[in-house]
Formats: sequence, C-alpha cells, structure tokens
Amino acid sequence: MKRLIPAALGALLVATVFVPLGLLLSRSGGPGEWLEAWRSAESRHALAGTLLTSAGAALVALGLGLPFAWLIVRTDVVARGALKTVVTLPSAIPPYLWTMGWIALANPKSGWLTLLVGRDRLDVYGSAGIAFVLGTSALPLVVLATAAALERIDPALEEAARLSGATAWETFRHVTLPLIAPAMLSGAALVFVFASASFGVPYLLGVPANPPAPTLTTRIYAEVLMGESGLSRAASSSVQLLLVAVGVLSINAWLARAGRVRLPRGKGLGAKVSALGRSRGLISALAWTTVLLVILLPLGAVFLTGLQPTWGQWGSFTLKHWGVVLQPRTVAAAGVSVLLAAGAALLVGAVGLLIALSRRRWLETLADAPSAIPGTVLALALLVAFSRDLRFIAFERVAFVLALGNTVWLLLLSYVVKHLALGVRSASDALAQADPTLAEAARLSGAGPLRAFVDGVLPQVRGALVGAVLLTFFTCVSELTMSVLLIPTGGDVLGTLLFELQSYADPASAAVIASALLLIVLAALVLQNLATRRAEAR
Amino acid sequence: MAAVELIEIEKAFGATSVVKKLSLTVREGELVALLGPSGCGKTTTLRMIAGLERPDRGVVKLGGQLVDDGRAFVAPERRGLGMVFQSYAIWPHKSVFENVAYPLQLKGASNVEAAVKEALGWVRLEAYLHRRPHELSGGQLQRVALARALVGQPKVLLLDEPLSNLDVALREELRGEIASLRAKLGTTMILVTHDQAEALALADQVAVMNKGVIEQLAAPDVVYREPATPFVAGFVGGANVLVGEVQGTSFISEGVSFALPAGTVAPPGPHTLVVRSEDVVLGAEGPLLPLQARLFMGSATEYRLGLGDSVVRAVGSALSHARPGQLTPVSFRSVRLYAP
Repeated sequence: MKRLIPAALGALLVATVFVPLGLLLSRSGGPGEWLEAWRSAESRHALAGTLLTSAGAALVALGLGLPFAWLIVRTDVVARGALKTVVTLPSAIPPYLWTMGWIALANPKSGWLTLLVGRDRLDVYGSAGIAFVLGTSALPLVVLATAAALERIDPALEEAARLSGATAWETFRHVTLPLIAPAMLSGAALVFVFASASFGVPYLLGVPANPPAPTLTTRIYAEVLMGESGLSRAASSSVQLLLVAVGVLSINAWLARAGRVRLPRGKGLGAKVSALGRSRGLISALAWTTVLLVILLPLGAVFLTGLQPTWGQWGSFTLKHWGVVLQPRTVAAAGVSVLLAAGAALLVGAVGLLIALSRRRWLETLADAPSAIPGTVLALALLVAFSRDLRFIAFERVAFVLALGNTVWLLLLSYVVKHLALGVRSASDALAQADPTLAEAARLSGAGPLRAFVDGVLPQVRGALVGAVLLTFFTCVSELTMSVLLIPTGGDVLGTLLFELQSYADPASAAVIASALLLIVLAALVLQNLATRRAEAR
Repeated sequence: MAAVELIEIEKAFGATSVVKKLSLTVREGELVALLGPSGCGKTTTLRMIAGLERPDRGVVKLGGQLVDDGRAFVAPERRGLGMVFQSYAIWPHKSVFENVAYPLQLKGASNVEAAVKEALGWVRLEAYLHRRPHELSGGQLQRVALARALVGQPKVLLLDEPLSNLDVALREELRGEIASLRAKLGTTMILVTHDQAEALALADQVAVMNKGVIEQLAAPDVVYREPATPFVAGFVGGANVLVGEVQGTSFISEGVSFALPAGTVAPPGPHTLVVRSEDVVLGAEGPLLPLQARLFMGSATEYRLGLGDSVVRAVGSALSHARPGQLTPVSFRSVRLYAP
C-alpha cells in the first residue's frame, strides 16, 4: 500500500495533467510553427497585451500594497483592524465582480463616476482599465506578503539605524525597504502571474474596448470558439502563456534563492506601532477614502446596478430584477456550482493530505505544478485530450477517455488539479509543524497506527486543511476561466451564467446574481471570522 | 560634568507604571549598570535616554543639554549616542564593512574606510571586513555591533543586555573586551543587565532597580557588602530573605526561633532578616530544619532547608553525614536586619 498509493496518484496526475499538456504542445506544432505564430501581428498584439496589463497590475498592487501594509502593521491609523479586513477582502471575491462594478462606475457613456467628471473623460475599457482592476483585485497578494515581512523585522534593526544617525525616512529607505523588498517583489510576481492567467477581466474590459485590447487568454478563447481551425493557433498562444507564467515564477524563485536575506529573529516583541501624531486624521482619511473608492465602491455599484429599473439609469430602485435568482436556470447553475465546488474542495483536502502523508518529494512537486499552469492552458489541454468533438487522433479508440469529454466530470477534474497544490501545501506545512511525539505518545499508550494518526496527528493538521478546503470551495464556486472552456454544451455554472448575462444579454440580472454571490461570500467570511475567534478564545 | 542626567522621569504603558520618578546622574567617563529583574524598567529607562521612548513626565539631559522635557524633543539620531542591542541588530543586507561604515556615511565623514578598519581593530575583526552577517557567529555579530556603535565616537554608549544572547564562555570573553575598550576609549557607558556578575564586574556604579525604582545606587562592592534593602540583598548577593519578628536576642520566622549573632542590635518588633548563604552554619547549633536537597556545585555544595513554605539556602563545604530528609541544626554567622 505504501508504494501503491503514491504510484497510483502519480500516474493519475500524469494522465490527467501532463499527458494532456503534452498533447496540447504537440497540437501547437513545433518550434517552426511557434516562430510563425510569433510573426503574426495578432499574436504579438495579444502577447504584448498580456505582458502590459500584467505588469500594470503588478505595479498597481505594489503602489497600493506597500502603503497599506505599512499603515496596517506599523501605525495607529484609525480602525486598523477594519482596514486590514477590507484591504484583504478582494482575495475572497472573484475579479470579474469588480469588473462588473467598474463597468457600472466608469463606462465612457453612462458610468456614475464618468457622469461626475464628464462624459468620455473616464473609460474603464482598455489595457489601463484591465491593469487597474486586476491590480486592485490582487492587492492582498502584495499586502499580506509585505505585512508579514514588516512584522518579522526585529525593531532593533530600525532603532540601530536611528541611533546611527539616520532620520525616520532614511531608516525606511536604507533598512526597512531593502529588508521587505524580496517579499514585496515576490508578491508582485504572483500578481503578474495571476493577471496574465486571468480571463474574465480582460474579456469584459478588453474585447468591447475601442480599439480592442486582446490578451493571450481572450485570444485563446476566441480561437477555440472558431472550432477546429482555430485550435492549433490557440495551442500556440497557450504555449506563450505557459512560458510567461513559468518564466516569471522561475525568475521569482531564483531571485528568492539568490538574494535571500535572512531576517534574524527578534525578541518576539512584534512590530512596533508608531503614532502618526498630528497627521493621523489626514492619513487615515486618505487611506479610508482610497479603500472606499477602490474596493467598496465597485462592490456597492454591483448591488445598485441590480436595483435599478433600467441599466445605467441612476434614480429609483426596484427589486424586479431579483426574480432572476429564482429562475430555474439560475437555480440549476447554482446547484451545479455548489456541488462541483464542494466535491472539488473535499477532494483537494483528501488527496492533498494523502500526498503530503506519502512524504514523497516527487509526488508533491507533481501535484504542485498544475497550480502554476494558467487556467486557460490547463482547460484547453483537457479539452484537447478528452474531447469527442475535437477528435484527437491518439485517443480515438479509448472509450473511457472519450466519455469524459463534454461532461461536468471534466470540470470537476480541472478544479481539483488546479487547486490541488493548496491542499498539499497546507497539509505538508501543517505536518512539518506537527509535533510527532503526540502520535508516538498515543502509540505508547496502546493505540494502533491508524488510531494514533487520528488522535495524535489529525487534530494538529485539521485547521490548515479546513482552511484549504474552504478556500478551494470559494474559488471554485465562482470559477470562470476554466469553466468557460470546459462547460458542457447547454449547461451552466454560476461563473459562466454571470459571464453570459453580463457580456451579451442582461447586465441587470448579472448584477443581481453577482449581488447574491457577494452576500453569500460575505456571510461566509463573517462566519469563518467568528469561528476562528471562538477557536482562539478557547 | 554630567554626561547623562535623568530628573524624575516617569513612564507608563497603558495602566502599568514602568518607571516611577526616577532620577539618575551619570558622570563623564563613568560606566553605570542598571541591574534588575525583567520588567523592572531598566530597558525602558535606557530607551528613554536613547530617545526611542518618551517619558510621560520628567526631564532627560545629555551633556548638560536638554533633549526631552515632554515638549522639546531631540530625535534619537541627533543625540550623538551609540547603542548595542541584545539581538545584535546587525543589518542582514549589508556587509560587515557597510554596517560599521553606516553611521560615518550619514555624517558625511571623510576617510570612512580607515575609521571603519580602526573600529574593527578595536574588536579584533579586521579580517572580517567583507563578510556577510549570516557568516558570523553570535559573538562576532555582537562585536560588529560594538564597532558600529563606537565608530562615530559617541558621547555615551548604551548597552542593552549586550551579552545575554551569548553562551557562558563567549559572554566572559566579550565582557573582558568591553572593559578593555572602555579603558582604551574612555567612553561613558550605560549597561542594562539582569546578570549581577556582569554588573559588578564592569560598572563603576550599580543602580539596582526594582518595580520602576532605583533601590540602591552605589559602587559594586558597596552594593554587595552593604545592600540598602532586602531586595538588593536578595537580588545581588543571592542572600536568604526571611520575614519575621525580633524578640530580645532571637528572630522568629515561620514559628522557628533563631539566635541572633552576638553584636546584632535591633529593637523588638517585625523585621526582615537577610543572611547570605555562606553565613548560614549547618550542623553546629540552633533549631533543627529538614534538609530538602543537596546540590554539589564543584567548589562548594549548596544545601536547601525547609522553613515553613520557604527555603533557607546554605553554601559551604560538604557535610558528609547530611542526607535529604534529615533534621539539621541551623545558625547564622552574621545577619542584616531591616525594619519594615
């Protein structure tokens, strides 16, 4: 068993991720075809769009993330705890929800903010808008990484600089900034990868833009829609997208290794909070205004959009659109989403724990890798490998593989492999920190191996595992990027339903469903908060 | 002239008062140790001298100049001080040279390299000029910190538990180094420590602190021989502190009557009796106390005897016949009595 399970899991991962990826690569032709694709203006345009919007998103997240991390960790800014909650809120909410809010706020003809500053003065469509929305929705990646680094710095390091004759500002530039830079840049690199793999935001903001602002993900989607003829072009775009993601992540890992600065442990005093003094009011007002504008306003706009009688008209309110929530199509989509997300989350937890328990590095690496593959690429690979319509030759005679194509099982598979790293990492981190003597004590008290595991090890791992399961559930229940490619014909999940309503038919209904989704996410966050507080109080 | 003068400074964190109306004068060239248990306010006092904390009330003067009186405030970087931290606080992203050079670079000093080399020479680290901090041991890091704190020739050097992160052998080596640096440079120093041996060995004056107050400020031998309060006696000498009552020529504690040594004069009534463990005599005369434990410590043996809920400690040469549980006669060779 000890060998069989890891081998079986490894084989399953290879068959469901790496073989399809290989098929996708072969489908894209060879280096000759890649070069040719590279020469086409359209392809270069899309690649440039991806690089530009991703870099822009990283810059936005850095520019906002550093000051907010500083305020949250180091100052007595007004309502510090609430500020932290709001700034990290975007990690729980799918980015296309922000996009819907910003479209209502800043579309060039009738956006509420646009009307305030003058028609056509504000335009959320285009590269700048994409970068901004992606950057703000990935803000927590930079804020949390930077805040953790700020908390870890021994206050004596900064005090030593002051005693050496440095002013507060010189201390920040010469000591604090160099010490938090690696964490900050690593956060920014993750934002870049997140942005380059994102589909909903660039589709909703880039395709209707004038001139259109394509990215690799939206181009791949468009090419897949063309059917057989577009597929090899889509495959070669996928190669580019994969290279961007893997490239940035490798550079990041290399930088982290090369420039690793070991932060010595402090006395454990934690970060020293400094008083803002006379400027406290002004700085707090500025911080809260920014947060209101960038995070809370677009969410509010989504709610209001769902309450307006006619889209884009600000005035009286109505609940007439809310009927959509109870329409059979919505209920069905929500049901499928919840079931899929719950199934994926439980599988991620269980398989992640199994893989972590096997303590085999190769298997962990294998399970970790799919998280670095952009969702669009992963979905396309599965599509190519398991689809009947696309008739991939190598699999023509393999019945069970064909059976997966065009079913929700393929969707479930994509959710699980994409998020498996989350389960593996939290389980193996928790196992590494777990105290092995508890299980040993259980054995010496007379428990068998299984009982010792259940009583001695599992309680120490459970918290981390539950966190991973919940996070997977929330990400999957509103997933769009992979679902839009893998959804069976005629079926819906919440993400694709919203996407369709927003981009073609009925933005007001989309806003209503989005509002309902938001309410559920917020309620879940509050519940989770209460649960952790109760656990901590114990 | 006074290098450092604290006048009735007070500091509270929230509802806890940490430093209470504390006054202290440190003369130029002097080394004053702030000695006390953790939480006694010694580090907070040092940080108020540095300007890293601000007193709620009171005045801080450096070299006769007012640096903090609640309104006027001179920032830490403009006080001309050097400081060594318990956690070394060596910047991990800078080399040894860059760490030591930093104070000089901020001053815009010329000939930085020569000055850095000289300072590293003081702590015998010339050979480590281009090392990175993670390549150095704890003792070496703390020597770099000393060089960095001294390179700018500060008016006062502040040492915040500089040796407590080091193991015993290194601690003694570095203690000697601080003493010889002081002899060479003549810098005024304030040393915060909870280690009485360190304070007694290095300081000209020891300020023994307890609960935010200086209980005694005196030369090390005076603090050791003539502790001003039972706390000082207990903390510095490791003496036994017994609470009880003088009746005639006896001292009654926990219902046990001890004969006071000849020549001890005290009015009858409640007192605190302090007796050093080396002044406790076993096996001769006096009331019988149960021997709880015998700890062989090499040069001497420590005996622990039960007295009610507390323990009387005696240090002496081995009593071969004494076994744990055995009742042993206890008497005192010399004691100090403190009226409440």
